[in-house]
Amino acid sequence: MVVTDQDLINFVVALKGSSNYDLSEYSDKSLKRRLQKVLADFNVDMAGLISSVKNYPVFAENIVKEITVNTTELFRDPPVWHMLRSRILPRFKNNSTINIWHAGCSTGQEVYSMMILLNELGMLDKAKIFASDINTDVLETAKKGVYKYRFNIGYLDNFDKVIKQNPLNYEEFNDVPYEKYFDIDKVKDVITMKKNLSEKPIFRKHDLVQDGNLFFAKFDLILCRNVIIYFNYSLQNKVFELFHSNLYTKGVLLLGMHETILGPWAAKFEKLGQAYIKK
Amino acid sequence: MKFLHKISLRLRVHVTVVMLLLLMLISSVIAVYHLSKKRIMENAQKQMEVFLENISQIIALNTNGTLDYTAYNAIKPVFNRPAFYTSDYPFLVDYSGNLLIHLYKEGQKYPPELLNQMISNPDKAGFFDTREYRNNRSETCRIYYRKTDGLKAYIGISVCKSEVTKGLTTTTLMLLALFLACVLIAILLTSIVLSPVLRAVKSISKSLTRMERGEIPPAIPYGNDDEIGRIVRPLNAVIEGIDRVTIFANEIGNNKLDNSFTPLGPNDKLGITLLNLKNYLKDKLAEEEKRKVEDERRIWVNTGLAKFSDILRQNNADLQLLSDSIVQNLVNYLDANQGGLFLLNDDKNDEPHLELVSSFAFNRKKAKKKTILIGEGLVGNCVVEKHSVYLKEIPEDYIEITSGLGDSPPRSLLIVPLKLEDNVFGVVEIASFHEFLPHHIEFVEKIGESIASTLSAVKNSIRTNELLDQSQQQREAMLAQEEEMRQNMEEMQATQEEMARKTLEMEGVTSAINESLLYGELDEHGIFIAVNTNLQNSLGYSKQEFDGKTLFEYIHPNDLPIIQSVWGEIKTGVPFKGTIQWRARQQENIFILCNITPSFDEYGNLYKAFLLGQDITQSKLLELKAQQQAEKIEQNLLEIQFEQEQLQQREEEMKSLLMALDTTCLVAEVTPDGRITFINNKNVETLGDSKEQIEGKFHHEIDFQARTQPEKYKAFWNDILNGIPKQREFSLNVKGRTIWISEFYTPIRDSGGAVVKIIIIGFDITQSKEVEQRLAQRIEELMKMLNR
Repeated sequence: MVVTDQDLINFVVALKGSSNYDLSEYSDKSLKRRLQKVLADFNVDMAGLISSVKNYPVFAENIVKEITVNTTELFRDPPVWHMLRSRILPRFKNNSTINIWHAGCSTGQEVYSMMILLNELGMLDKAKIFASDINTDVLETAKKGVYKYRFNIGYLDNFDKVIKQNPLNYEEFNDVPYEKYFDIDKVKDVITMKKNLSEKPIFRKHDLVQDGNLFFAKFDLILCRNVIIYFNYSLQNKVFELFHSNLYTKGVLLLGMHETILGPWAAKFEKLGQAYIKK
Repeated sequence: MKFLHKISLRLRVHVTVVMLLLLMLISSVIAVYHLSKKRIMENAQKQMEVFLENISQIIALNTNGTLDYTAYNAIKPVFNRPAFYTSDYPFLVDYSGNLLIHLYKEGQKYPPELLNQMISNPDKAGFFDTREYRNNRSETCRIYYRKTDGLKAYIGISVCKSEVTKGLTTTTLMLLALFLACVLIAILLTSIVLSPVLRAVKSISKSLTRMERGEIPPAIPYGNDDEIGRIVRPLNAVIEGIDRVTIFANEIGNNKLDNSFTPLGPNDKLGITLLNLKNYLKDKLAEEEKRKVEDERRIWVNTGLAKFSDILRQNNADLQLLSDSIVQNLVNYLDANQGGLFLLNDDKNDEPHLELVSSFAFNRKKAKKKTILIGEGLVGNCVVEKHSVYLKEIPEDYIEITSGLGDSPPRSLLIVPLKLEDNVFGVVEIASFHEFLPHHIEFVEKIGESIASTLSAVKNSIRTNELLDQSQQQREAMLAQEEEMRQNMEEMQATQEEMARKTLEMEGVTSAINESLLYGELDEHGIFIAVNTNLQNSLGYSKQEFDGKTLFEYIHPNDLPIIQSVWGEIKTGVPFKGTIQWRARQQENIFILCNITPSFDEYGNLYKAFLLGQDITQSKLLELKAQQQAEKIEQNLLEIQFEQEQLQQREEEMKSLLMALDTTCLVAEVTPDGRITFINNKNVETLGDSKEQIEGKFHHEIDFQARTQPEKYKAFWNDILNGIPKQREFSLNVKGRTIWISEFYTPIRDSGGAVVKIIIIGFDITQSKEVEQRLAQRIEELMKMLNR
């Protein structure tokens, strides 16, 4: 089923009418593909989808959940975590508190990765962790901190690479047991984060498009990885502005592997790898 | 005579005695009577003879052969009185029969037949019996007679027999009384003599009667060794014997078979029979007992089997629960003290071993580990041997039973393999303070088979369930994974699109940089790797001249120290930005606004530094000028601010100062609600709008920001109203030229602190702003883009 530009506009308008979601500045191509997928999954045509969205707010909410993409891993892209470990987090070593916002935290793996890393650096106690996502389902998963084991066996590799090994010194090996942070139940096929980790973060539903700063705090570190790729240029800049205005000076914004700030907000940040440091 | 059979012995004795006495009495009475009578008669005859003789003599004396008167008188008295009795008067009769003398019949004739008897008797005297009437009764009378010697006559005397025997009757009566007394005495005597015997006999009779009715009478008390005694003693013996036999029989009846019994005699048939019966019963009982024990054991085994078949049927979804239940119940049922269940684990490919899956009060000292290899120790060996092991002597320290009373070694240990058709599934180990009996062991072995079969079934079912679950999970996981993969795909696609977009942008940026900016790339030592034509041209060197040269060689000595010191920082990741004086071929002073940004690889190693620059030699000079101006303005501003404060107190002074300012600055006055009340000439001059056009209008009507960013403007204005002085810069087009104005908003408070007026003072900073801002921002932006 092909979704035309007009279909897309109709859908966005309909969704805006029946819910708070404004997808008008989402990336067209991506949104079209997601809509195609939704149409196939629900076995409806565009007109049916739009009328359902108009008539049933709950359905609209679910459609947004279907459309949003929730990919994340424990210690995704280990080089980024190496950089966090060696270059970014040490900047806050002497802070009395560290405020961290995971914008678009998805199912929370990144949040737990951050807490594990902070704990290894001895900084977890002074860290305040905030995490948000537009999709309440994934937030629930994130709060529980329970993940499939077999399918996500790569988590352990990532853990080893980030926590146990040091790419700058191959002889270094920190034998941190997995059980320190999570329990692996191979029979049930789950990885369960320790309670002391899963209870720490504040999880909130948040729409980057219009919710502003939900946490009434400024941040030392904002992680927003692989989120803005679904936004168009204009929305990206709005989001950068939001982040910029809610970062402390010298605060760090961390984007995904292939995300960069271009345009007017580039000048307000200093780039350090994937990290942008507010000037 | 039949009644004689019925009368009692006593009566019989008495009757006999009385009869005997009676007989004696009668015979004696008859004898005595006759003898007495005879003798009385003889005595009476003699007496009469004597009496008659006496009378005859008298007569003889008084008569001389004739009886004259005188003689008659003389003898008459003798005849007037009885001789010995009451009526025996004598009489005198002559031979002719005339009664010569008679009491009342004198002169009468004597009956001739009687006289004839007398006369016919030759003897002088005699007697005969005749019947006479006396007292109107005929009585037998004996008449004694005698011939008188002196007269021819007979003297006679009639004696009534009854008178003579009158005393005899009295004697008879006495005799009778005597007899009665004798009878009484006889009866008494016989009673006294016979009573013990009779009592014994009565007792015997009674006893026999009771015996006849089947009762057991008490022993008869009789101590005499007489005939009765000889009857009583055996009888008592019989009674005692019956008693003993009865007791014995009773005991047999009550199943007391252990009491001894001696038969009454070698031929005591009943006793011997009973004894035989007892022995027979005893044997039977022993047999019964034995059978009962066997039965009990069989029942115990069967009950146990049933119980365990129940247990095995329940909980057979959960291996742990099942094992716990088995061990606990087995230990309890055997009354043992501890037990453990080992299961053979051959799931994995590694060496099969036994795992202790459940235990009850288990405390294996030697083998605290929960796994045992096949063939290891007693338990491991049991798997190999496939036979039960029963130990009564347990190796020291093998296991201990832990209880509240402390640890003590068990007395017996039973290890039984759980096997099913020669396949061992596990081992059960049970220890106890008691010894295990053969049927216990047999039971555990039997149970072992059941357990093995159940365990095998449960294992299979669990495995099947696991597989089912697994496949279900896998299916769900597949779906989840598919969705995740799709999301990953989407992410990759979105990323690619983003990158493509960026690449496009970057290409434009790069070409723009090459076109407009000075660009170079440096290695970690500061050596030029690449230089674009703009940079070559600006400095006036050819590309070859840059080869292998460092940045430092082209820096003007004035700025060299700065760059050298900054280079260290750049290498650590701090970008440098600033205007640097370079050494050009032709020109001594060439100013380049430089931006040197380091770029690091993923391990944080510097691999390149980018140099971007803009030749601002000309604008630099302007900039310097503008800076000087700005400094001046700043100084002025400070002064103004100072004066403003004074003006608040002294409006007159402020006004005059405003007048002074009027010539150099743009001045405007605004009421708190935003209405513009005053603008000065400079304002008119600079911005080109006349006083009439501006005054009276609201500030937000003409303010560019108020129209484009109302929120920001509002905040800005609110701050002012709150008494916060504000500064802002803006640009606007005046007659085709962009003019930059720096405005200072100063709220004026009254004495009460309320804002009554806002004074706006503006400076024309167009020149410096143009130069500085344009260049700086462009360079900065391009630098960023280059850095991607």
